[in-house]
Amino acid sequence: MPDLTITGLAKSFGDNAVLHDLDLRAEDGELFTLLGPSGCGKSTTLWSIAGLHPPDRGRIAFGDRVVFDDRRVDVPPEKRNCGVVFQSYAVWPHLTVHDNVGYPLKLRKVSRRERSERVAEVLELVELGGLEGRYPHELSGGQQQRVALARALAHPPDLLLLDEPFSNLDAKLRERARDWLRILQQRIGVTTVFVTHDQDEALSMSDRIMVMDRGRVRQVGTPEEIYHQPADEFVADFIGTVNVLDGHVAPGADRSRVRVEGLGEPLLVSPPAPAEGAARLAIRPERIVVHPSGAPAATPNVVTVKVRSTAFLGDHYRYVVVLGDHELVVRTLTRIDHGTELTLELPPDAIRAYAARG
Amino acid sequence: MTAAVPAGVGPRGPAPGRAGLLSRRLASTTAGHYVIWAVALLVLVGPVLAVAAAALWSTPLYESGGHLTLDNFRDLLGDPTWWRAVGNSFVFATISTLSSVTLGVVAAVLLTRTNLPFRRLLTGVFVLPVLLPGLVLVVGWMATWAPSGYVTSWLELNTVLTFPIDLYSLGGMALVATSVAAPTVFLLCRTTVLSIDSSLEDAARSAGAGPVRALLSVTVPLLRPAITNSTLLVFAVVFEVLGLPLILGFSKNITLVSTYLYDHWINGTSAEQGVVAAGALFLLAFVSALLVVRNRVVGDTGRFATVMGKSSAKRLVDLGPWRWPLAALAAGVLVVLVVVPLVGVVASSLTSIFSPLISPWSVLTSDNFEAVLDNPVWMDSVVNSLLIATVGGLVATVVIALLSLVAHRSEFRMRGSLQQAMLWPRMMPGLVCGMAFFWAFVLLDPTDTLRGSLWGLGLAFAVRSLAVGYSAFYPALAAIGRDLDLAARVSGAGWWRSMISISLRLSIPAMATCFVLLFVSMLNDSDPAVFLVTDETPVMGLTMLQLAATSTGGAVAAFGVIQMLLTVAVLALGRLFLGKRIHA
Ligand SMILES: Nc1ncnc2c1ncn2[C@@H]1O[C@H](COP(=O)(O)OP(=O)(O)OP(=O)(O)O)[C@@H](O)[C@H]1O
Ligand SMILES: [Mg+2]
Repeated sequence: MPDLTITGLAKSFGDNAVLHDLDLRAEDGELFTLLGPSGCGKSTTLWSIAGLHPPDRGRIAFGDRVVFDDRRVDVPPEKRNCGVVFQSYAVWPHLTVHDNVGYPLKLRKVSRRERSERVAEVLELVELGGLEGRYPHELSGGQQQRVALARALAHPPDLLLLDEPFSNLDAKLRERARDWLRILQQRIGVTTVFVTHDQDEALSMSDRIMVMDRGRVRQVGTPEEIYHQPADEFVADFIGTVNVLDGHVAPGADRSRVRVEGLGEPLLVSPPAPAEGAARLAIRPERIVVHPSGAPAATPNVVTVKVRSTAFLGDHYRYVVVLGDHELVVRTLTRIDHGTELTLELPPDAIRAYAARG
Repeated sequence: MTAAVPAGVGPRGPAPGRAGLLSRRLASTTAGHYVIWAVALLVLVGPVLAVAAAALWSTPLYESGGHLTLDNFRDLLGDPTWWRAVGNSFVFATISTLSSVTLGVVAAVLLTRTNLPFRRLLTGVFVLPVLLPGLVLVVGWMATWAPSGYVTSWLELNTVLTFPIDLYSLGGMALVATSVAAPTVFLLCRTTVLSIDSSLEDAARSAGAGPVRALLSVTVPLLRPAITNSTLLVFAVVFEVLGLPLILGFSKNITLVSTYLYDHWINGTSAEQGVVAAGALFLLAFVSALLVVRNRVVGDTGRFATVMGKSSAKRLVDLGPWRWPLAALAAGVLVVLVVVPLVGVVASSLTSIFSPLISPWSVLTSDNFEAVLDNPVWMDSVVNSLLIATVGGLVATVVIALLSLVAHRSEFRMRGSLQQAMLWPRMMPGLVCGMAFFWAFVLLDPTDTLRGSLWGLGLAFAVRSLAVGYSAFYPALAAIGRDLDLAARVSGAGWWRSMISISLRLSIPAMATCFVLLFVSMLNDSDPAVFLVTDETPVMGLTMLQLAATSTGGAVAAFGVIQMLLTVAVLALGRLFLGKRIHA
């Protein structure tokens, strides 16, 4: 299977610039996820890869086969040999499951017998064996989605492109489909680009994730890197929940000590803040340590806070506390008996310091 | 990678050396699009240029010599009868528009939002004239409501009542136009009435307004865009109509713009043809301007408003004790406007003399129908019309489908202009369309093979009906998700292949609807034929027009009844056939 390389991809609709010189590289056999808020250009990127619309600039190559290069090369979609699963599934309502899945093979002039064998094989793969004769309206949403996947895998494709394939499934089914697709993709080993705006989906399935915002790449990395070492405040904020504190590094002072309004001592952060001046500190609620009976001496970043509210959320407890001018969310697995005040520790390596925006 | 998917089945991507072949393939699709685009523009827009040429040339274009001139325009503008015709047309169109908009809007509210008894029956009768060939209804009006008509004379003989309007005056003509135009207004406004959220009315009611008050103060003002839309549309259509004023204006010599052009074409010298072309340009410019204004005011969405509003369950306004008197009034209006003329045309086709002085039962006869069957010209025109409607309808349907696909489903650069071009014939009055093709054939086809043939006529009829078919087809195409054919593209199908195996296949039901509409419209069309018909190629609509304009006998009525029965049969078949199509 080839890998995928995109360099300097740009696309505008009218004067609305949707992609700004996007670079991307998905390795051979990798499940590569494009993650970002609605309208950030994920589908636009995917459609450019599939050849469904021409970008304005840039270069797209599958392995060493260049399929698009600044309008000098523009291989039409039918010659790119991608398998695409659309958000709407786009299963053809007038064809049976067999004919839907067999269509790409028919176009490739595969003999009838070979075609039937291959269709049966792919349907077996997506666990739809025996449903060959059904029409799409006789299938459930989850089954239709697997027909779309089977059709995308039939030829077989050089590259599998999935545009929010689970967004029409209910929550339970979606979770099952995730695991199932991940296992299937690893078995086949096809290089896959997966588009979603759902962070859980992205974290649980991907080899690597590219976080996008308004047509620009914010960060590329493994799920762990993205979650634990978000490159900027946008990524930290977009993936999971995060508390953000406004801080300040005095000129000439040690950049690993950040002052926060309302706190006597500056907070120790590691790694240090990127620059002097205004800073933003991000810390995940579950990384905050609660010390119901006081923290051991010499623990850094210990603060005492007022508890504003408590909530039980099934698998965890959620506390909202007041720290200086900020509200902070804290998560714990067990219930904590507390008075109106609580002692917290903000471990230095759990805090990420970013330069203040703007 | 594991062996779960054997890689040997499909071919690998093309080798680098095949790039040349590839771009050639791509180019051939684009070349196909360009050819389609060029032919479509030539046929849809080109003929109008021919009219302009004819108007600006000193001699008819089929004669040699001549030079560029503005004389035709000077002659037209210097002719006092032209200005009288323009004045008459304005008066006629204004009265017709005012009365049909009033009637149509009242009906839209009364028949969809109140508990008026027999609403469904009344609605069915009210919209009947839209479905039937227009001239048949006019013949019925003459048989019953003309000064010497059956019902008018009966009233005078047996009661103190008289029919207050002379049918052969501008007012009478406007009354007949109203019976056809009011249901059009009704259908346009009903869609809006049905789409208005009834919670808006509920809000007014909870603020203390009574149900009727809420209806009048909330729903009726919301109808304003629909009213503007139908006002401009009806004015444009009534302004250009030929058959009605030709038949009813004949006896008192009332000339409108359309009949002025007709008269000068049929009875004038060949030197006057340039003047007629100039007049046609005026008509075209005026009607186009009205419809452009309408598009501006109503916006693009109004263009494709379907006449079938979705019948959501709306709470009905209770009219209380008024419901029976109002129902009686509505029934009375419909009896006058629709029932009496229709019964009249059937009755006069079945009697030798249709008059209140003689009992119709004593003069019952099938002679009129036999006369039609024995008349070779009339029978020829029935056969010709059926041929044009069948073959032309089929070809036009396929062409509409193809053009729509290029216009809406391709990456073709000029697709925007193609969308405009397909709506353009809607702005073309039937007379102008016929004349446009006449002059275009003169210029492009010196051998006259096309002009004198049914194909030439069919082409003009098809172009005139194109916008109607497109407006019916396009919403169905738009409802077929774009993803469906893109999925075929990424599966390996080229543009044409994906269109044929997916989009076209899925729009077959829409094509069937489009065909029925085109069939009916081409079966009964008359205006373009004025310029294109020959002795060998009579068509039903024009034959009917010429007959009705000069005689009133039972045979004309019989011919009209035959035309009506054919239309109704096709619509019924279409309904039966399409009603069953639920798959895909
Ligand atoms: N055909 C189009 N014409 C004009 N603008 C478009 C078109 N397609 C997309 N856009 C714009 O491009 C931007 C990116 O769209 P895109 O579909 O790539 O977003 P997305 O990241 O896939 O969002 P979502 O998660 O909602 O699917 C949006 O602002 C959208 O309005
Ligand atoms: Mg999208």
